[in-house]
Amino acid sequence: MQLLEKARDYEFLGREFLVWLWFRSETKEGRFSLGEAGSAELWFDGRIVLQPDENDREEKVICLGDTSRSREARFALAEYKTVTETKVKLRIGDNEWSFILDSTWMNFKSFKTPKVMQDTEQDPDGLFYEKFSLIQQALSAMDAIFTSFITLRLSSEWEESELPALLRWIKEGRQKAF
Amino acid sequence: MGLIIGSGSFTRFEVEGGLPEDYMEEFPKQIARLSFRHIDEASDQERSAGWVNIMDMFDNRFAAMDYLKEPCIAMAWRVDVRNVPAKALKQYCREAEEHIKAEEKLEFLSKKRRQEIKEGVQAILMKRAIPRSQTYDMIWNLQTALVLFGAVSNKLCDEFSEFFLQCFGLHLKTVFPYSMAARILEKQGKDPAFLDDLRPSLSQVE
Repeated sequence: MQLLEKARDYEFLGREFLVWLWFRSETKEGRFSLGEAGSAELWFDGRIVLQPDENDREEKVICLGDTSRSREARFALAEYKTVTETKVKLRIGDNEWSFILDSTWMNFKSFKTPKVMQDTEQDPDGLFYEKFSLIQQALSAMDAIFTSFITLRLSSEWEESELPALLRWIKEGRQKAF
Repeated sequence: MGLIIGSGSFTRFEVEGGLPEDYMEEFPKQIARLSFRHIDEASDQERSAGWVNIMDMFDNRFAAMDYLKEPCIAMAWRVDVRNVPAKALKQYCREAEEHIKAEEKLEFLSKKRRQEIKEGVQAILMKRAIPRSQTYDMIWNLQTALVLFGAVSNKLCDEFSEFFLQCFGLHLKTVFPYSMAARILEKQGKDPAFLDDLRPSLSQVE
């Protein structure tokens, strides 16, 4: 199967991951375990793009502002069911990152790391290693969270408890809007 | 701005196959061969792409193997493009056609002649065009075989993959949710084919 075809056929994995992130960030106070690396806080911040499904790519709802708590965003989720792009904030200890995640390629847009104090002129290698370490830290955290999602998604726990709770939470969004 | 100096967007790739045994001898030669070269102003070349220092886009010499930042190879891919604005081309073509018609006392010019004039004008104007430069950071972690590339457009990612192959002889595979999940299953000692039976589950909302 060609890469593009595979990416499209399994885009639902990325969409479900983003919805699950939103669900967990609201119902578990945004705290995610990173295994031996401790834990991270993650929340949706400023922008969510929702689309009906892979076959109907024309329609798109974009919610801006305090999206995670917005009734419109939750209503759109109940109607459209999947998130295709979202801006998230990630906090580990005192460090905070922000970036936009997309569901098809899971690439990172507008990626911002915490401020780096190194001087480009004085010590370019120092700046490189500090910045690279911050990028790696965020990527490792996101990979750990994605691993938790995939492990759960492929376990019996998904059908038994996680999915029913997630679907209830999605449905609540429609009721809250009225 | 690049990933290291500033902020930006990036795509992740996995390098297929292992590192060649002699990579410490071979890679410096290949990087030097494909380091960035300026567009020859006298030519009608429209584009030039090559490696530059990730910390300084004007440095393409990599003194003391500056790109080697253990355990990574870190460079920027610089792409210079120059072109002639369409409206300027149209205006200069019209002026050239009028001049030739007056000089040769012609009422009309054939399609072929007009095409020749256009090509000539394009070549003259191209030499006056100033290239636009863009750089895209590339960080290749040799231990994990993962590459971060500082762009997300499919076209650029394809062009970069082609350039990477040309330089190192290694294929890049884009990382995306399915491949990430397959890698997780492999690490857990499970068969990635397990993913093939998965179907979307959120459509169950009434």
